[in-house]
Amino acid sequence: MPRDSLIPFDNISNEDELTSPHRGRERSQRGEKRDGVYEKKKKKKVTSRRRERSGVDEGGVQLEHERRDKEKRKRKRNTVQARGEGEENHKEREDERKSRKTAKLGKSLRNENSQKIQKEGEEEGEENQEEETEKKPKRKKKHGHSKKEEAEDEGKYELKEETQEVEKKNTKTVAETGLEQESSEDTEEVHEEDKVDQEDHENQVRPCSLSPEELEKLKEAVEERKKLIQSLRGKPWSMKKKLLTLRESQEFVEKYEGALGKAKGRKLYAYKVIMTKKWMKFQRDFENFKTACIPWEMKIKEIESHFGSSVASYFIFLRWMYGINMILFGLTFGLVMVPEALMGKPYGSIPRKTVPRSEEASAMNFAVLWDCGGYAQYSVLFYGYYNDQRAIGWLKFRMPLSYFLVGVGTVAYSYMVVIRTMARNANESGVGDDNSFNFSWKMFTSWDYLIGNPETADNKFASITTSFKEAILEEQENRKDDNIHLTRFLRVLANFLVLCCLAGSGYLIYFVVRRSQKFALDGLENHTWWERNEVNMVMSLLGMFCPMLFDVISTLENYHPRVALQWQLGRIFALFLGNLYTFIIALMDEINVKREEEKIIKFNITMWESNLYNGTGSENGTTVSPIIIQPADVPRGPCWETMVGQEFVRLIISDTMTTYITLLIGDFIRAVLVRFLNYCWCWDLEAGFPSYSEFDVSGNVLGLIFNQGMIWMGAFYAPCLPALNVLRLHVSMYLQCWAVMCCNVPQERVFKASRSNNFYMAMLLVILFLSTLPAIYTIVTIPPSFDCGPFSGKKRMFDVIQETLESDFPSWFSKVFIYASNPGLVLPFILLMVLAIYYLQSTSKSYKEANVELKKKLQTQNEENKKKNKQAALKAQLDLEEAQKVASQAPKPRYKSEKFCYNSLSVTEKCQQTKT
Amino acid sequence: MGSRASTLLREEEIEEIKKETGFSHSQITRLYSRFTSLDKGENGTLSREDFQRIPELAINPLGDRIINAFFPEGEDQVNFRGFMRTLAHFRPIEDNEKNKNAAATEPLNSRTNKLLFAFRLYDLDRDDKISRDELLQVLRMMVGVNISDEQLGSIADRTIQEADTNGDNSISFNEFIKVLEKVDVEQKMSIRFLH
Repeated sequence: MPRDSLIPFDNISNEDELTSPHRGRERSQRGEKRDGVYEKKKKKKVTSRRRERSGVDEGGVQLEHERRDKEKRKRKRNTVQARGEGEENHKEREDERKSRKTAKLGKSLRNENSQKIQKEGEEEGEENQEEETEKKPKRKKKHGHSKKEEAEDEGKYELKEETQEVEKKNTKTVAETGLEQESSEDTEEVHEEDKVDQEDHENQVRPCSLSPEELEKLKEAVEERKKLIQSLRGKPWSMKKKLLTLRESQEFVEKYEGALGKAKGRKLYAYKVIMTKKWMKFQRDFENFKTACIPWEMKIKEIESHFGSSVASYFIFLRWMYGINMILFGLTFGLVMVPEALMGKPYGSIPRKTVPRSEEASAMNFAVLWDCGGYAQYSVLFYGYYNDQRAIGWLKFRMPLSYFLVGVGTVAYSYMVVIRTMARNANESGVGDDNSFNFSWKMFTSWDYLIGNPETADNKFASITTSFKEAILEEQENRKDDNIHLTRFLRVLANFLVLCCLAGSGYLIYFVVRRSQKFALDGLENHTWWERNEVNMVMSLLGMFCPMLFDVISTLENYHPRVALQWQLGRIFALFLGNLYTFIIALMDEINVKREEEKIIKFNITMWESNLYNGTGSENGTTVSPIIIQPADVPRGPCWETMVGQEFVRLIISDTMTTYITLLIGDFIRAVLVRFLNYCWCWDLEAGFPSYSEFDVSGNVLGLIFNQGMIWMGAFYAPCLPALNVLRLHVSMYLQCWAVMCCNVPQERVFKASRSNNFYMAMLLVILFLSTLPAIYTIVTIPPSFDCGPFSGKKRMFDVIQETLESDFPSWFSKVFIYASNPGLVLPFILLMVLAIYYLQSTSKSYKEANVELKKKLQTQNEENKKKNKQAALKAQLDLEEAQKVASQAPKPRYKSEKFCYNSLSVTEKCQQTKT
Repeated sequence: MGSRASTLLREEEIEEIKKETGFSHSQITRLYSRFTSLDKGENGTLSREDFQRIPELAINPLGDRIINAFFPEGEDQVNFRGFMRTLAHFRPIEDNEKNKNAAATEPLNSRTNKLLFAFRLYDLDRDDKISRDELLQVLRMMVGVNISDEQLGSIADRTIQEADTNGDNSISFNEFIKVLEKVDVEQKMSIRFLH
């Protein structure tokens, strides 16, 4: 027991002494009634013990010494025996305590013995110790008699002792301090004994050898302790004392409560204890689990603490995207793919669900599958596989309708989510920034309090420093702005160059797409891998190198970094957009080609069918027997929808691949090289030129946005796209998290995340709009293929709605619908909406203007106030100085003092006036 | 530890803390277990060294100031009540709290109190004014030796010039509030406490 913890027990003893003595007396009285015979003896013992204890103060040291000597002697002899007993004991105890307690038990037993010896020695005169040790086992055998007596004594003793234990300790501390002066050895021993003593009274009540009465008493003691624990909350003690008492009492209760009662009760108790513990643990785990359920929360937090909030904002954006894609995936998977796979006609039953004969040989080749051909093409993954059967399965699931609605719902949901998020962000970001407190903000709000990593902290220091430096520079730049013509010229030049770049890349893509169409007409098999994947590769390469080019060009412009970053983002956006649109235009061309092809094939098929029927008809006469043709042999159209879906899937896959590969090469390999080549290189690679890469937040966000745009565009024709995207995002989450933590260094200039978030969202919205435009265009204007997809045989895809209205709804509903969709109704409605939008727009504009006006007014007022105040303060200061001057001069010429006094008084008065 | 947390916190105490700080019951017990795990001396109070062990605070240039904010003036121990009172500044403002202004006392997590907390971080000598010297000290903590003293001085001057409206060359709390008027303090000075 640590010594300093003895101190608070003074108080406890006082408390206990107030309450417990008569309780103790009560018990002892009860004891008297029950076993009066032993009463005297016991009392003697108690008193003797007490005497002994109190004697420690004066001559007790000697006594203690004697005891210790005896103990030492005994220890040698009794070790074996004691250990045996100890083991016997601790079987009764809880398992966990086993290893810890054995040693102590042995000790305490020894101590116990020695104490017994002492007492008996005092009572019955000097007895040989060897006799004593021999007696001990005998007594044990005579369970009913001497052992019981002793045990009972001890049990009672224990109760008394409990109340007195504190007192004892008190005296002990005194003794201890006394001993301390004698020698350090002694103090150590006293310590040990102290410990032993504490164990001692606990071990006196070993349950194995206790009679029911003792058990009762022990129970009472335990109850008392329990009560103490219960009432501990209410006690007006210091927390330190409470903690100590609690710890002790809990130990006590834990020790004995389990040992009390019969085996069944004990088990029940143990069970209860374990269950409560388990329950607590479970609750805690559950809380942790709930946090862990927020996907990647811990990962993102870790990254945040290493790289600041800007990089984390990318990952949060990624997670948000992942969530949206999950829902899109759920929609398409649950309402389109699964029903078709489960309830639709199985593979091979109709031509559109079968690989054609000519492709059968290579349909399972990996290269073909990778290219989304073969079996992949004729599966639920693509538009062409779906049948135009109105209702499928026993559920009468309206497949075409579901397909159409899911397509529309995907887009509608995305719009809703993006706009809602934007509105929320706009609310948060407030009115917009105000540069009037630039330095103050830098001063008061620049530290990122989530940083917990020294390296990041260093970087943050650096970034704060640079931001301050930047701010100083900006201030200087604001004051002098020379050579404006040169910078203007450079900016125009830079923009020109960028435009050239954009136009060039656009043309390149267009050219490549055209070429690939030619290749496709020739048949893909005759061409090399490069020629087949040319479009995707070119697009990815452009996406990789053009931003670098822009970066170089933007150094010409000499913009402020924040502005430069936005320009950069805008240009990359334009590049990607241009690429995407060239891609779409090329696709449209291809669609037209396919449709021409389709017309020819359609004609051929009718010819082929009529030939077939004519042939069979002539053979069999009037009875037309069913002609069995393998569905694989039926000629079929080119199915442009599947082609579009395939293109998008290919694009996504190649894009994903390039992203991952650039990540591996650009970040990982570079980091490895920099790290390990640094040992044998002529300059410092880590600090010098290649260095480690930084995490490019803006580029990554843009990549994510465009990827999403492609998903939105292609999802209608390839229901597997959301699934693919979910997979991609999932992998890139882990991969990028790993890459960031493993091979990137935090940015020097931290991109402010909170403000740019809406910028990303706005881009996402633009992309969403631009990507749904072509999709809707194709859905609305181009008639679906005649022999594939859920809308085959219809004139337009949206005819499915009308069909449903006519056949599945009551007639009045369709009538109402027809009236509602009457242009006479729709046009005024649209007009009304436009008017409303115009009205809201103009009011918000006027509010904004009023806001700006008010702000200006406030600012000028502020400045004026400041000026006024400053002037007043200056004046007051001057006056004060003057007054002081005057006052300091005053004592010298005494005769004039009155006058000066008067002067200074008036000055101070003035000062006060100006101040007030 | 969990059992300790539940046995040592009196229900009334929890209720009081709840009333004072607005934390929920489970948040209080959870924070209490955090408190005890920080409490290496196991004496029911936290010392400065206990706080220094938190890496985020150890690194933070203003860490000492933040730790200081936990301790009442002249004391170097903080008990659980004090700990919770300080943490309450960082409790997010909930939607239903925004509306009920009728409450007599301002909750600890109100905007003004959050700002006051931040203000105290910079007000080293507790005279309710941030002087140029105090700014310089804080700046030195934040940027180290990377910027010359002269430049730091000019930054401090600029800061005061921006914020100071009454011409006393120091920033009072009211001026501080005005400076951070546009900053989303409610959100930035909030910690998402686990329930």
